[in-house]
Amino acid sequence: MSAEAAVPGIRERSTIRRNARLRHSTVAVAWLGLPVAWVLVFILAPYLVNIYFSLGSSEDYAFNPGFSLANYQRIVTVQPYASVLINSTRIGALTALIACLIGYPVALTTAFGLESSRSRFVVQLLIMLPWWASYLVKAYAWRTILGSKGLINSSLIHLGIITKPLGFLLYNEFSVVLTLTYIFTPLATLSILNQLERIPVSLIEAASNFGATRLEVFTRIVLPISLPGVLTGAIITFALSFGDFIAPALLGGSHSLMISSVILAQLGVANDRAMAAAIAMLIVAVAFLLIILMKRLERSSAIQV
Amino acid sequence: MASSKQKFRPVSLHIPWTATVLIFAFLYAPIFVMVSMSFNTNHSVGLPYTGVTLHWYAELFGRTDMLTAMANSVIVGVGAVLLAVPLGLLAAIGLDRYEFVGKEIFRSLVMMPLVLPGVVTGVALLNLMVMTHVPLSLATVIVGQGTSLTCITIGEVFGRLQQVGRSQTEAAFNLGASEGEVFWHVTLPNIRSALLASALMTFSLAADDLAITFFLTGRDNTLSMVLWSMLRSQGSPIVNAAGTVMIILTLGLFSTALTLSFSRRARP
Repeated sequence: MSAEAAVPGIRERSTIRRNARLRHSTVAVAWLGLPVAWVLVFILAPYLVNIYFSLGSSEDYAFNPGFSLANYQRIVTVQPYASVLINSTRIGALTALIACLIGYPVALTTAFGLESSRSRFVVQLLIMLPWWASYLVKAYAWRTILGSKGLINSSLIHLGIITKPLGFLLYNEFSVVLTLTYIFTPLATLSILNQLERIPVSLIEAASNFGATRLEVFTRIVLPISLPGVLTGAIITFALSFGDFIAPALLGGSHSLMISSVILAQLGVANDRAMAAAIAMLIVAVAFLLIILMKRLERSSAIQV
Repeated sequence: MASSKQKFRPVSLHIPWTATVLIFAFLYAPIFVMVSMSFNTNHSVGLPYTGVTLHWYAELFGRTDMLTAMANSVIVGVGAVLLAVPLGLLAAIGLDRYEFVGKEIFRSLVMMPLVLPGVVTGVALLNLMVMTHVPLSLATVIVGQGTSLTCITIGEVFGRLQQVGRSQTEAAFNLGASEGEVFWHVTLPNIRSALLASALMTFSLAADDLAITFFLTGRDNTLSMVLWSMLRSQGSPIVNAAGTVMIILTLGLFSTALTLSFSRRARP
């Protein structure tokens, strides 16, 4: 459909003036005013309010405003905060590592093993579907598999291999990492796949024509170019699993507390709004550092051929 | 292009193919197990599989608290769509057409709720509500979900606009079309499927979310919240039935959305 046919009542006006209007004009405010205002009020302002709360203190279930970094200091130095922070970092890093390791072969076969764009789309859809499925239900699904009456234990008992349910399957760090890996693998895979699809076929052809073996093509071309995609996937996976509270609550034991579970506890039983705000800001800071890293990677990953 | 890609495979794909099949099994088995348990006559979630029944679904849809929760989830989903899609549409067109000071900052801010754990967005918004003395209700949940999901519409619509290019819009303006005429007759036809896809994704994510809803809800519970409180105590096949309903809903909406997104993209 051409634009001319679509626009009724064509009138003659100055082309130059119109183009100018499209590029710089007060009409921009009409499009952007509301979204910008909304983002300032409901995204930026909450973070500022959160910073304000994080600098105060809670005493006797009441909030006292203040300007001290004591809460932040407590997170890093006082137990259990410090160890919970280390726990979350370890669980996030493990999840990111495993998700990228198992996502890589899937991305590789999707990018190079499928001929038609339709089949690539179908496989991409199959990768993404588990990601879009309900988060809570996915975490719960693993409990029905790993639990004492779950699929694995009841099968093994039924087959006579064990007599008592295996306790190490659930309520520990293993089950949390497994569940988080399960949840974030599609995301990591897609990030790697996006990067693999940017590799120009001509580059691989040229290398093959000059006698490079498949292994050389992989280690010298495919792997280096795909690395930014791997890192992007790993960073997002880390940031989201680091701050997750659903998997540790449903599948973690008393020893695998994570940082977001502490926020819940602070707002619930402990009623320490200031501390909860400080922990939230810490997660924002970690994520921010990672996002800056990611932006740098994105910029350096542009392929020029 | 595709055939040459096929010819010059960078590596032998036998091992990756085997791994891929195994990983797909890993991705789908838990969902399959969860769904199949919802039809099991056994009263505890797990084996043995004593028989096939729809009893748990009957029980699920017979409980008023569950039905209320489902209705609340739908209200949150629809509310979030009504908020996020128009906001995202305005922002996407603005971002596509204009350069302005702080454009990068705006884009980063909008993306924050997507790359930050939901807990952070939830706590920050909760603190805003506490500070401004806004009572928590489904309305605050809708504000939270709508705000954090605006980036979905921006991403989808902005991507489509970049693909379409600016020539049609500029031509229409040159020929004297007004802002409204350009929007209705040039922009909208190009982004219709992107808008629909965003709406479906937004609905699904908002209705299903727990992290943000957890902090911003008052006395009203969505289905995720009810399941959450049930799960913290004990699993029941009713949870599997409710989970199956949620899986079918989320997956149905998303595959429709992605197909819409792709069918347009495939065209030149």
